[in-house]
Amino acid sequence: MTKYATATDEMRAKYEPVIGLEVHAQLKTKTKIFCACATTFGAAPNSQVCPVCLGLPGVLPVLNERAVTFAAMTGLAVGATIHPRSIFARKNYFYPDLSKGYQISQYDRPLCEGGGVEIHVEEVRKRIGLVRIHLEEDAGKSLHPEGKEGVSTTRVDLNRAGVPLIEIVSEPDIRSGVEAYHYLTKLKQILVYLDVCDGNMEEGSLRCDANVSVRPCGRVAFGTKTEIKNLNSFRYVEKAIAYEIDRQIALIESGGRVVQETLLWDSARGVAETMRSKEEAHDYRYFPEPDLPPIDLDPSWVESLRASLPELPDALRERLVREQGIPEYDAEVLTETRALASYYEEVAARSGQPKLASNWIMTEVNAVRNKTGDSIESFPVRADRLGDLVAMVANGRVSGKIAKQLFEMMLTDSSGPEALVQKHGLLPIEDDAALRALALEVLAANPGPTAEFRAGKEKTFAFLVGQAMKQSRGRAHPEKLQAALRAVLTEESA
Amino acid sequence: MSAPLVLESAESLARAVTQGERSAADVTRAFLAQADRTAPKLGTYLHRLAESALRDAEAIDRRRAKGDPLGPLAGVPVAIKDNICVRGVPTTCGSKILEGYRPPYDAHVVERLRAADAVIVGKTNCDEFAMGSSTENSAYQVTHNPWNLDRVPGGSSGGSAATVAACEAPLSLGSDTGGSVRQPAAFCGVYGLKPTYGAVSRYGLVAFASSLDQIGPFARSARDTALIQGVICGRDARDTTSRADARPISLDALERDLAGFRLGVPRAILDEAGEGLAPSIRAAFESAISAYERAGAKIVDVSLPHSRYAIATYYLIAPAEASSNLARYDGVRYGVRRSDGDLRGMYEATRGAGFGREVKRRILLGTYALSAGYYDAYYLRAQKVRTLIRKDFLDALAVSDALLLPITPTPAFKLVEKTDDPLAMYLSDIFSIPASLAGVPALSFPASFDASGLPIGLQVVGRPFDEETILRVARAYEREHDAASRVPAIALAEAGDAR
Amino acid sequence: MPIDVSVVRKIAALARLRIDPAEEERYARELDGILGFVEQLQALDVAGIEPTSQVTEGARPALRADEVCPFGARDEALEGAPERDGDYFKVPQVV
Repeated sequence: MTKYATATDEMRAKYEPVIGLEVHAQLKTKTKIFCACATTFGAAPNSQVCPVCLGLPGVLPVLNERAVTFAAMTGLAVGATIHPRSIFARKNYFYPDLSKGYQISQYDRPLCEGGGVEIHVEEVRKRIGLVRIHLEEDAGKSLHPEGKEGVSTTRVDLNRAGVPLIEIVSEPDIRSGVEAYHYLTKLKQILVYLDVCDGNMEEGSLRCDANVSVRPCGRVAFGTKTEIKNLNSFRYVEKAIAYEIDRQIALIESGGRVVQETLLWDSARGVAETMRSKEEAHDYRYFPEPDLPPIDLDPSWVESLRASLPELPDALRERLVREQGIPEYDAEVLTETRALASYYEEVAARSGQPKLASNWIMTEVNAVRNKTGDSIESFPVRADRLGDLVAMVANGRVSGKIAKQLFEMMLTDSSGPEALVQKHGLLPIEDDAALRALALEVLAANPGPTAEFRAGKEKTFAFLVGQAMKQSRGRAHPEKLQAALRAVLTEESA
Repeated sequence: MSAPLVLESAESLARAVTQGERSAADVTRAFLAQADRTAPKLGTYLHRLAESALRDAEAIDRRRAKGDPLGPLAGVPVAIKDNICVRGVPTTCGSKILEGYRPPYDAHVVERLRAADAVIVGKTNCDEFAMGSSTENSAYQVTHNPWNLDRVPGGSSGGSAATVAACEAPLSLGSDTGGSVRQPAAFCGVYGLKPTYGAVSRYGLVAFASSLDQIGPFARSARDTALIQGVICGRDARDTTSRADARPISLDALERDLAGFRLGVPRAILDEAGEGLAPSIRAAFESAISAYERAGAKIVDVSLPHSRYAIATYYLIAPAEASSNLARYDGVRYGVRRSDGDLRGMYEATRGAGFGREVKRRILLGTYALSAGYYDAYYLRAQKVRTLIRKDFLDALAVSDALLLPITPTPAFKLVEKTDDPLAMYLSDIFSIPASLAGVPALSFPASFDASGLPIGLQVVGRPFDEETILRVARAYEREHDAASRVPAIALAEAGDAR
Repeated sequence: MPIDVSVVRKIAALARLRIDPAEEERYARELDGILGFVEQLQALDVAGIEPTSQVTEGARPALRADEVCPFGARDEALEGAPERDGDYFKVPQVV
């Protein structure tokens, strides 16, 4: 295999990468797109099949209305045009997990066209346009175990055959692996917000192929593109695109030409390799599906669907910034999922502290979730409890340090923070006499720093405060303690 | 001496069974005995269901004895073309590639027949995957025309037509894509109906050309045709091209006369068959026009100017859809498999060995018509011409209540006569294809016989979902002519014993 | 464009059909004849004409509610499989 010279920054500066992504998303319907078989993941092989998805002689497809609804919702969410009439088409090819010898898809007249997705990469907001979104059916699974006698066979499971998919095709507006990563993240977020797809690349409910080409900066015409398949995670998409951009640039710079071909990403070796050559390019012989009437959507149905969409990530983010006065960055983190945003809003409302609530969730809550993998729905600290805790910090009932202790306790104890404070004797020390006594104790235990302060070294005050807080195990009321210490320090200097 | 049971109409048999004058078992036995004698000579059946038919009949008799209401086809034997699924029963579509295949479900029409208490007596021979006009493309056997064993019964539903003509069953089902019910009906001297596209569910009909296929009945009278059509028609949720517009036909309505009826006659269509049009067909056609005039109908001159392009249009659209519909026969999940090394070898060997010549020819033609670079010139263009052909019919049917046309250019031709020249075979579909492309209902009815005693049929075409009118037109003819009541000698010779 | 044996081979490959070499000529001739016949359609003016892919204009939309209805005879449906490996269909390996 020819070893290509690697791309250098100097080379990269001369080219503009042009990337388009084709994403297939499995829709979370209960049944398949053209028959009433269940779509549950992980069932015993060929247990969720019927004559229709088995492609037996004499059967016909019957369209699942929820698949249409979910596809239309997705189109509306990305601002696409929803065509009132769209038609299905047959895509003809032979493969053992394609039971009819054709896939029912959409070709000339897809359900949605246009629209776009906004991504936010390093302070820059950019819109990635969409070409179209259309409905189609998934194929089954072909598994390739090695045969015992050295003769290889393939095993076919048709449970997945007929699961509804939407294919989302982007414009070639993406310019890097990083942008691709953000695009996929945003797209998944939208799909999960709509609850139309799980968006899980590792499980296969979200799949992505990338089309990559480069062109000299300033040129309008596209370069030859390659297609990369077998991308099983967002990170692999990013890496593979970066790899392929560099490979193409290096190739062109060394006098070669990019060949239009399909490549398979090898994540173990970090390279994209040519798929074993096929005898002939696919001629899918698309024609309109005679067994299915056109999808005809009533414009008023589309409008009421639009009105019923849940609040989407961008709108929710902007609303939080507006209503809660928190920074964009916070809002972006907090709107990762609808559930997290709801959690935040409840904590903010309960505590009356939008920014503080945000901090607590972004740091404490998410730190725990990152370790445990908990979804916010199953997070052990209820929003109202956290809200109470945040309020207590804000009004000085507990110090930040005590609050963190309480939070730890609340992970396993569902009592509210006030109850825990009582139970564990974490009451703040606010009594003047007690604080005065504490201050005197600390000064007595630290004669050197005391003397230094009295000699004019203002800095040692902070040290003395720290010692006092430590002595009180964080329970001393911060402002009052400081006042008491100052008082004692000043009165004894005479 | 009363007429043998096997000559009786389905209507009268069902009434007799329902009223307890006859047992369903007796009726079934009579027809089974008939077929025992004639089917080996005619080659009508690929698979007979004698045992299950008798069991079904006995069950009907038990229900009758209990006082349960019976369906409109109570005890009536019905034969089913072998491209229509009957659960647990071999359904080969006349092809080797489905040898031994047994569907795990009943076609919708079979469910309807069973619910009407009909008795399914067997699967009839047909051209492979319904592709053909003589039933000679069956991979299993030849079917002979009951009126003359040297002649074809027509196709592709030759077995279903012949079995009714020979009185082996009073009713049968076939399928019509470009004429496959109407043409064999004409060749065999029986009624054959191609319903409006969408009137009868295709769930369980093995697809040939999806936008053209329709299941249709054979019978020996207009009323019997209406009776079975009423049982099988109507919307089925499992076929979303089927419509609710199709409704049972009132048998009484068929008796209304034709005074003032506007009968459209597209005379120019006869010229399209050119020299291929037999004088006997032309004569029968002209004679029928006169008969209708005498019956009070007003003859309206209409034209179907684009019908001359119908064959070309059909032989692009149908093979294209067929090439896709037959892709599922790959030896993976059912049917026959031939191994040959790798997967690709398996596909090619299985399909190469499993499909006959005509099927292969049409798959090649259809694949070509859809392939890159040719789609616009062939398939897409044909679909546009189809629009013109359909419009011709709707325009003609706007100024007339039904149309009268020939159905075949000749009576039944000889076996082997046309098997060497596929194009010649296709050209004989000249009168049947246009109505298929238009999706309108069309009925073949027995009109007369030629000098050698071969049946001659004619065709009535109607507005979408107006099966009742075209049956009424045929019934009017039937009342004044005896062609439909004649029976081939082979049926009579044995039938005397079947009481 | 005349249909010759090389075209027949290409289409047969697309359609996964094995054609006996002794018959290739014959298929080529027959297809050529049929395609020659359908050439007549080229003479028609179809400008502005919508293609008919279905003759079911006016049919109400036919959508199915998203409710699971398992097929009751699944074992029967799998029975006819030429080769199985447990509950899987078995085929020669996909290259």
